Amino acid sequence: MTDPTTGVPSPTAAGAGAAGAPAADEGHLVLRDLVKTYPGRHGAAVRGVSLSVPRGAMLAVLGPSGCGKSTTLRMIAGLVAPSAGSVLVDGKDVTGTPAHHRDMGVVFQSYALFPHMDVAGNVAFGLEMRKVPRPERERRVTEALELVRLDHLARRRVSQLSGGQQQRVALARALVVRPTVLLLDEPLSNLDAQLRTTMREEIRRIQQETGITTVFVTHDQHEALSMADRVAVLHEGRLEQLGTPQEIYERPASRFTAEFVGRANLLPATVVAAASAGEAAAAEVEVPGIGRITAQGASPAPGEPVTVLLRPHRVVLDAHDPDGGIARGTVLTAGYTGETVAYRVRVGGSGPELDVELPSGSHRPSAPGAEVGVSWQQGAARLVPAAPRSGGDAEAADGGGPAGDRDPRGGAA
Amino acid sequence: MSAAAPGTETGSDTGSTTAPGAERPAPGRWTPGRTAAALLLPGLVALLLTYAMPLVWVARMAFNEPLPGGAIRQTLTLGTFADVLTDGHYWRVIWQTVELGALVTVFTLLLSYPLALFLARTTTRWRGLLIALAVTPLLISSVARTFGWMAILGNQGVVNKTLQSVGIIDTPLQLANNLTGVVIASTEIYMPFAILVMISGFGRLDPELERAAASLGAGRLAVLRRVVLPLTLPGVLTAGLLVFVLSLSGYVTPRLIGGGRVFVLATEIYDEAITALNWPVAAVLSMLLLVLFGLVIVVYTRLQRFVERRILGERGAAS
Repeated sequence: MTDPTTGVPSPTAAGAGAAGAPAADEGHLVLRDLVKTYPGRHGAAVRGVSLSVPRGAMLAVLGPSGCGKSTTLRMIAGLVAPSAGSVLVDGKDVTGTPAHHRDMGVVFQSYALFPHMDVAGNVAFGLEMRKVPRPERERRVTEALELVRLDHLARRRVSQLSGGQQQRVALARALVVRPTVLLLDEPLSNLDAQLRTTMREEIRRIQQETGITTVFVTHDQHEALSMADRVAVLHEGRLEQLGTPQEIYERPASRFTAEFVGRANLLPATVVAAASAGEAAAAEVEVPGIGRITAQGASPAPGEPVTVLLRPHRVVLDAHDPDGGIARGTVLTAGYTGETVAYRVRVGGSGPELDVELPSGSHRPSAPGAEVGVSWQQGAARLVPAAPRSGGDAEAADGGGPAGDRDPRGGAA
Repeated sequence: MSAAAPGTETGSDTGSTTAPGAERPAPGRWTPGRTAAALLLPGLVALLLTYAMPLVWVARMAFNEPLPGGAIRQTLTLGTFADVLTDGHYWRVIWQTVELGALVTVFTLLLSYPLALFLARTTTRWRGLLIALAVTPLLISSVARTFGWMAILGNQGVVNKTLQSVGIIDTPLQLANNLTGVVIASTEIYMPFAILVMISGFGRLDPELERAAASLGAGRLAVLRRVVLPLTLPGVLTAGLLVFVLSLSGYVTPRLIGGGRVFVLATEIYDEAITALNWPVAAVLSMLLLVLFGLVIVVYTRLQRFVERRILGERGAAS
């Protein structure tokens, strides 16, 4: 990855793929430069995604709608033919293998349960296709239904099930064939909030029990961060960052990731001096309106523009000592949300505005207009690599410019 | 309507105070039931005048006694029924009608199904045009289309000429003036109906289901057999009903392509009424055709219920 501070070896294409390295370091499921273009549509849906999933790991493909994540999943499943690139399972190229020979379990966003079969019939379908003899079939169907805790509803029609139950049937149907890879397309998006949390844990439990290599697609950062071992952030058909949930959240490799995953204050700044290098890299930067602060992360040369990331919940406000913090601020708005109080604070007289989130009950709430001291812990401020693409929007990237050259990772891969 | 509106308000007031007799709407008051009746009336009158009354008249005619020379004696006799039902010729006509209907239905469904399936599933933006194209034959009168088929299937027709010139056959194939020709032409003529009915009946078809089946290891044939076919069966049945009924009452094609050698109920009714001037026999045959329709509807309803219960697994009122 481009993030040099990432200590964990991340098996991305940037590492193994392009160099043509042997399969030693490769994961169970590998995508190499997957591209999908649709005829008559400007620009590609997926523009060269390369990543690797270790055996038994759970990868979340996270991105906004239209970022190409579902298309990527369907290319893995063999339901959509890639325009270029390849899909490897166990080091074997399966790009040309039709879906019904790929041995992958897919849970669709709409569940796609067969309406003309009952629950057991749905689950048994894959086993029938594999010509599993009846006694074993029945045993495995029962096992799969027990795994998703639906064994008491085996003879129910799928139309008589609730959304959560249908979701479990879809999961059991995909798992019963013991697929090499399990693919979940927005598995929780059709469930209500409470059920979503339950199913999140449920899917994670089942995935860990079965130890099956899993890829799931989601637009929900909470889902991605809480369920996955690894998160791949996709943006406009490109892999923005691949890493553990902590890496993605705490050390976003791009402005897009910083903003898309969690809430973010992004402050333009100028490098003054690099403080140290390597794992604990940090730099002293000048933020207009705030002054000189230290931010974690590798920095470009002094004088270069950078972006500083400050998560709202890492900022602290002190109403008693407005001058005791890193900067002095004025509360613009305050909103009580129950668990937290969300503030918007202007730093200095005309400095940047910051979103600040404080746990409710931990402090005496400040009213709009109040003067507060703004501070944060050492290490809360983080440098975000100033990707050139952050300057250009989607249209600019599509507008015939050398989009590949604008992408820092594109060059790295 | 505007005159009735104030009445509605006062009516609801008295209703809330549970005044006795408030249940029965006052004369001239607006109620949903009365609106429905008013809306139904024109259609009802039209049906009575153009359908029910002629039908009753035909039914009545069946009990009259035919006299030589086309005269009719007004009476109430089952004699004509007895004459018709004991005459082997009429049984052969009934059998040929059913046989033609069955053959045409089977071939129409077989040929229409793949087309309808394609049209229902395709995502091309030309879909609307393609569907329109599939039903454009309906714009041409079936008489004209039947004449077209005569030109194609006759002894000097396109098919025979071509096969002879290529040297595959020496003597022309008998494709017209027999049941074969009628089946071929009728099949083509009813296909647009079947395709339209099937497309609208294929609503349950969801491409995602086919993808799900494929991901579970089902090849194309298995997807068709286990997923697509069961889910499209209700539409196929409805199309089958329509084609069978249309074919039972079909007149033009059996008459023109049959060349006087294919006798079905419709042509026979016409001959009895217009040529033989035997209206009571024509009326009895019409009643028999109605009975046939009734039987078809019964069989269709049974089949539909069977498909819904056994194949689609729906129970009672469940959607």
